[in-house]
Amino acid sequence: MQYKQVQLIGGKGTGPGQFAAELRAIAVDQHGQIYAAADSHISVFDAAGRPKRRWPAAGPVHSVAVANDGTVYAGEILQIEIFDAAGKLLHTWRDEALLGRVTAIGFVQGSVLVADAAGRAIRRFDPRGRFLNNIGKDNPVNGFLVPNGVLDFAVDAHGIIHVANPGKHRVERYTPGGELLGHIGSFHGTDPAGFGGCCNPTNVAVSERLYVTEKAGPRAKVYDFSGELQAVIAADVFDPNCKNMSMAVDHRGRVYVADTVKLAIFVFEPVTV
Amino acid sequence: MSEELTRRDLFHKVVRGTVLATMGGGAAFLVQKAHGQVVWQVDASRCVNSRLGEVGVEACNLCTTECVVSLSAVRAVNEYSKCGRCNICPAYFNITSAVDEHGYPSQKLCPRDAIIRRPIGKVDPEDPANNFYEYLIDEQKCDGCGKCVIQCKEPLGLGSIVLRVRYDRCVDCNRCAISRACPKDALIRVPVT
Repeated sequence: MQYKQVQLIGGKGTGPGQFAAELRAIAVDQHGQIYAAADSHISVFDAAGRPKRRWPAAGPVHSVAVANDGTVYAGEILQIEIFDAAGKLLHTWRDEALLGRVTAIGFVQGSVLVADAAGRAIRRFDPRGRFLNNIGKDNPVNGFLVPNGVLDFAVDAHGIIHVANPGKHRVERYTPGGELLGHIGSFHGTDPAGFGGCCNPTNVAVSERLYVTEKAGPRAKVYDFSGELQAVIAADVFDPNCKNMSMAVDHRGRVYVADTVKLAIFVFEPVTV
Repeated sequence: MSEELTRRDLFHKVVRGTVLATMGGGAAFLVQKAHGQVVWQVDASRCVNSRLGEVGVEACNLCTTECVVSLSAVRAVNEYSKCGRCNICPAYFNITSAVDEHGYPSQKLCPRDAIIRRPIGKVDPEDPANNFYEYLIDEQKCDGCGKCVIQCKEPLGLGSIVLRVRYDRCVDCNRCAISRACPKDALIRVPVT
């Protein structure tokens, strides 16, 4: 299995579709539109990568997710802002105890999942923002091991939550109720099938397969659900100093990776032989 | 006669003044040194081992080789407030060495074995990855070679390990030998607050 780069979106700058200083997270909706949490804004690109809309958030945005009804969730420090598809603010969920630094958001079984990197746990809320349960908090180290400061997860079609636990060099699987089902991955410093360095993988995405990014050296990879490496999607194209590269997968199997130094979204697709 | 005495007085006063000035200057120097008002220190933002943005370069060990003190006055220091307490620390392990039967790198990084690793907090004996670890520098062994510093640097690590001049070892040369050799002028005189 191989991938090729087919597009580059954004880049550092102040022009249309560019990002000034920070590109922290990306998401793709069911129509292939791309959402970027960059600087203190949400930027939306159409499926062809053309800039479409951009609106400000209350502060630096650390994560973004799009619900099936088109509402856009922006994760920030101590709060989540919920916008309609046009960027109009609908709600703000603020919680100093449960929303320390929101670095990923997802949806499962009608509830909202929020990765609190400061609390090293995933918080599950009902659609009105009422807390339901923690995921990954009940263990000897009191949460996920995220030295990089970002906690990332993705939800598969069966409602299983795949969480990058970089300090353990694993991707763990949880039920929405918080039960640990298992994990894939282990440390290896030279074999690309393993996760290298102090703390990898940093970010994760899921569709029919499991996708991850790593730092130092930065690379994007794809695994099957048993943990077999399918391909190294890309490595050398990313800036060697970037880390916490958010990623997303669309309905066409395209893989999107955010380079946090070049401030660009790399788009890859599988090569059919 | 009176003129003779005046000259002698003047001579004595000059000598006395010179001695007092020398003693006073020396005392001021000692007080300054004791209070650590101005000392040699490594500027981490200049040191190639810890400066952000540079990847794929070899560790510079001039702090080890150039210092006039036999075992350099420079030591690696782990700033615990920044340390991730990782299970697999790239400053402790040689992370590209072969993986052993327990899933860990089989070699340590430090050529002098100067880093101590130990679990802290509630220890999970079943799963070593389920623990926090602290990393201590043994200053009797460390010679400031910088290998651990460069491996701890962002983005590979968190940049918690830096090089520091240890005042109890530094002989405070007027022109530090390391500063003369350092290609980045990373050895600087700094006031200690």
